[in-house]
Amino acid sequence: MSDRGWTEMMAAAQSGNAAVYRRLLGEIDPWLHRYFVRRLPPAMVDDAVQDTLLAVHEKRHTYEPSRPFEPWLGAIARYKWIDRLRAMKSSRTEELTTDIAIPDHEDAVTSARSLERLLDELKPAQADVIRLVKLQGLSIQEASSRTGQTMSLVKVNIHRGLGRLSSLVRKRADVE
Amino acid sequence: MSNEFLIDRLTVGLKPVRPRKPVIDGVIIGGICLLELILFLGMGATRPNMPLAMVQPSFWWKLTGLGLIALFSGAAAVMSFDPVRSPRRGLIAVVALVAICLGAGWMIDAGRGGWGAVVGRLDWRNGIWCVHDMTLLAIPPVMGLGVLMQRGAPTDRKGTAWMVGIAAAAWGAFVFVFACPFDDPLYTAVWYSVGCGIVTVVSRLALPILTRW
Repeated sequence: MSDRGWTEMMAAAQSGNAAVYRRLLGEIDPWLHRYFVRRLPPAMVDDAVQDTLLAVHEKRHTYEPSRPFEPWLGAIARYKWIDRLRAMKSSRTEELTTDIAIPDHEDAVTSARSLERLLDELKPAQADVIRLVKLQGLSIQEASSRTGQTMSLVKVNIHRGLGRLSSLVRKRADVE
Repeated sequence: MSNEFLIDRLTVGLKPVRPRKPVIDGVIIGGICLLELILFLGMGATRPNMPLAMVQPSFWWKLTGLGLIALFSGAAAVMSFDPVRSPRRGLIAVVALVAICLGAGWMIDAGRGGWGAVVGRLDWRNGIWCVHDMTLLAIPPVMGLGVLMQRGAPTDRKGTAWMVGIAAAAWGAFVFVFACPFDDPLYTAVWYSVGCGIVTVVSRLALPILTRW
């Protein structure tokens, strides 16, 4: 569907046309899925999509029908992406077991590549502990012994690194 | 919950919404500010020697500077309630505008004698009262802009909160100019900056939490 089509559909949704709105949400659902799959670990993608659909619904009055729809949707998706990155700061990570079923590696590979590009822009000490604790699921203690950083330094580096990731994302023009 | 189920839930009983217009937001916040100014002046809070003040360059410096800062940052804040618009450029411009205003104050003040009298000119007892009053006067605009911010969809909540704080603080100080009996540019630069700074920092800390979406 072209952006023009979505623009017209959103304008109709703002006037209360539920059928068109349903079609629009149905069409932006896979768009959002593709958006987040490139940017977040697979486990977070569904939540991010649903969160963004809710935000689109709650903030639909902020869309101006005279302007294209896709940049508006992109701005909301990006906002929710940054939110998720921030949430990673406070979320606990659990160590992964080796016997979990992984149906498809494609999403994981795509998001890992995108995350790796971002992590490359951090200081090595920060990127290392984020990889170990937030992506590989190691404990703070294990990351400390692997990297030679003290436990408190690991925590500080994770906190600062994720903060830097959020600001990198915010500053960077969204070209994808 | 599957996305299909969520979409069904969101579309059931869909009600029409009126698209947000920045101009309407501007009119609302302008109305609140104007009402505050009218009430403030109507309560007889104007300084008694107003005719004398009106020939002082520092009075017009305060009024023009704060008015421009309030107007510009208010407009930039309202624009940034749109998810597609960032407040960053507006913030840089406002910081430059504040620097220009303070520089203009320094030029007005250049004729005044002596650094030795600086502490006396600052008159901290009255200064604290001025800070108190201008902070109270900033409450209506900060609340009005906060409600509009909550209704909008700012994607850089911290930047927008800075902008709202600067706009509300500058408006509170602008209204207070009509009651403030002190014309010394040094006094104004220091105490007005303290008052505006408090409102701005409080807005920056509180609004991102209160307007989370």
